[in-house]
Amino acid sequence: MSDKIEAVKKLFTSKSSRVETNKGDTYYQELFVKCEARLNEMRAQTPANRLDFSELLEENGIDRREFMKWASATTAMLMLPPMFTPLVADAAVMMNRAPVIWLELQDCAGNSEALLRADGPKIDEIVLDIISLEYHETLQAASGHQAEKQLDEAMELFKGKYLLFVEGSIPMGMDGKYGTIGAAGETFHDHLMRCSENAAAVVAVGACATFGGIPAASPNPTGAVGVMSVVKNKPIINIPACPANPANMVGVILHYLLTGQIPELDSLLRPKFAFGYRIHDNCERRAHFDAGEYVEEWGDKGAQNNFCLYKMGCKGPMTFNNCSIVRYNDAVNWPIGVGRGCIGCSEPDFWDKYAYERPMADAKIKAPTGGVEKTVDEFGLGMLTAVGIGIGIHAAASAIAGKREKSGESHE
Amino acid sequence: MNQGYKQVKRMTPAMRIIHWINAFSMIGAIATGLYIGHPYYQTFIADGAVDKYVMAWNRYGHFIIAIIFDVTSVAIVYLYFFSRFEKPYKKVIPNAKNLTEFKDVVVNLMTLNRKNEFDSTHSDSFNTVYFTIFHLLLLWMLFTGLQMYVWGLGSGLSSIGSWWPWMLHVATDWTLYVTGGSKMDVRLSHHYTMWFIISWIVFHIYYQVWRTIFWKEADIAIVVGGSKFVKDDKAGKK
Repeated sequence: MSDKIEAVKKLFTSKSSRVETNKGDTYYQELFVKCEARLNEMRAQTPANRLDFSELLEENGIDRREFMKWASATTAMLMLPPMFTPLVADAAVMMNRAPVIWLELQDCAGNSEALLRADGPKIDEIVLDIISLEYHETLQAASGHQAEKQLDEAMELFKGKYLLFVEGSIPMGMDGKYGTIGAAGETFHDHLMRCSENAAAVVAVGACATFGGIPAASPNPTGAVGVMSVVKNKPIINIPACPANPANMVGVILHYLLTGQIPELDSLLRPKFAFGYRIHDNCERRAHFDAGEYVEEWGDKGAQNNFCLYKMGCKGPMTFNNCSIVRYNDAVNWPIGVGRGCIGCSEPDFWDKYAYERPMADAKIKAPTGGVEKTVDEFGLGMLTAVGIGIGIHAAASAIAGKREKSGESHE
Repeated sequence: MNQGYKQVKRMTPAMRIIHWINAFSMIGAIATGLYIGHPYYQTFIADGAVDKYVMAWNRYGHFIIAIIFDVTSVAIVYLYFFSRFEKPYKKVIPNAKNLTEFKDVVVNLMTLNRKNEFDSTHSDSFNTVYFTIFHLLLLWMLFTGLQMYVWGLGSGLSSIGSWWPWMLHVATDWTLYVTGGSKMDVRLSHHYTMWFIISWIVFHIYYQVWRTIFWKEADIAIVVGGSKFVKDDKAGKK
């Protein structure tokens, strides 16, 4: 009986946002042995590039102690027990054995920007620096046929092993002609299909690649869609947000390197270690929300006192992401920290449904009647007015009819 | 009692109690819900945050009302099918008798009570359909509301055990897909539905008062005393 209950539970919760933070000692012991064996295997391989992680750390003035602090924080982020810390540190050092091909489609290159952090890189960014980036459309020196050749070679050499990172949405309108790449004028769609065919897994990075993002916002002129609407029969990991947090990119690559598997995902294919928590529940201004202390306008006394940004349209209460925990740029700061609300950039359709910077009740959205954009309350009050007018007419007519009835004009 | 009038029992004490619990809960739910959707009075005063707790109290009230609605809804669903007094579901089955009655009541309303060709002693088909619409709206509020509630239980744990968020996910995750796929759609739908319910209430009150005035059968007393009065010769007609 309990087996059956467990089976039913599993069936219904496997794709929900439920996060299992403790899977039991036996599970972790087994995983530890498995990861150790995998790391030894990796160590035997020749690095795909000559960058040395320890040297890079030194060059950037980061000592061993700081690195180990980062490793234990990353272990915690991946929801692994502390005994995995040395393994995570090892895996970070061996990042130059993870072949990555990076596609740049319809977007602003903000995720590459986040990944690079050229100004004062921190450990997350350095880890991403040494991944064996075989091909990156924005960053590589090669161009034209030369770049194509490089891509083909990388795909052949690391067939079935490389991680395909995709940044940007895929325009489907006009047969995909809105975006082409390379000397042959290949459409983004065909390009993505060709590169994903032999990938170990596809990692969609940023709001555009995951759910279509800003290019897919109404009226979506190019018919933009996210990777998961196009690529089928391939493991897909979505790392949404605008831009995606490098900490989560590192998390996914590390997890892959360490265990050879993709991390546990939620119903939107987002890794649960990063998107299993609601921003609101870990927000530093949550107490002000409960107290009813809100910023009423930019720069007022409330803003100066770090009050809750809910009335300025913060969408923390309906957004799942870990930026209230890990923050951005190696925990330097995050949107709420700089005094502006969350725009829900890690949720589907965020530009249309979250990013209007007003409370939901004041949001100008398409009314159910279609056409003109209205707020929900305007629509509701309109409907109420219509009901009121109807009632008024009926009441007045009834009163007149009643009078007539009294004076004997009625048919009854 | 006036001569020539007969008293007809229409609502049992249980039905009346549920009606008034729902009525007052609705007022409370709208007042607190509007605040949660857009905090309309400010607490920007020189008190410590711990003394105010305004949003938290509003949400607490909203959730307690939701639980009351949950319980009365279960009672209503039961009575809908198994009441020994009157089973409302019998009046919403679209058979010839109910359709005719529904039409006759609408005609009565539209002709300003000039045509009155149905039996007003019992709860008519139109009233029962209207009642059913309300409870469907209320059920929708419960499902969307509990979906929003479970977002706060992202850990999968709760003070009463992990079965609670699990059950909420099983029972309400479908609202995400029905409303359009994102969490904001659920929220918007919850807010829209409030306006439908307010409109419902406005017409409901008007119609009951209108019936009382024009039918002259003291319909408004049903929800207080449980009965109305019909002329002797009319009772049993049809």
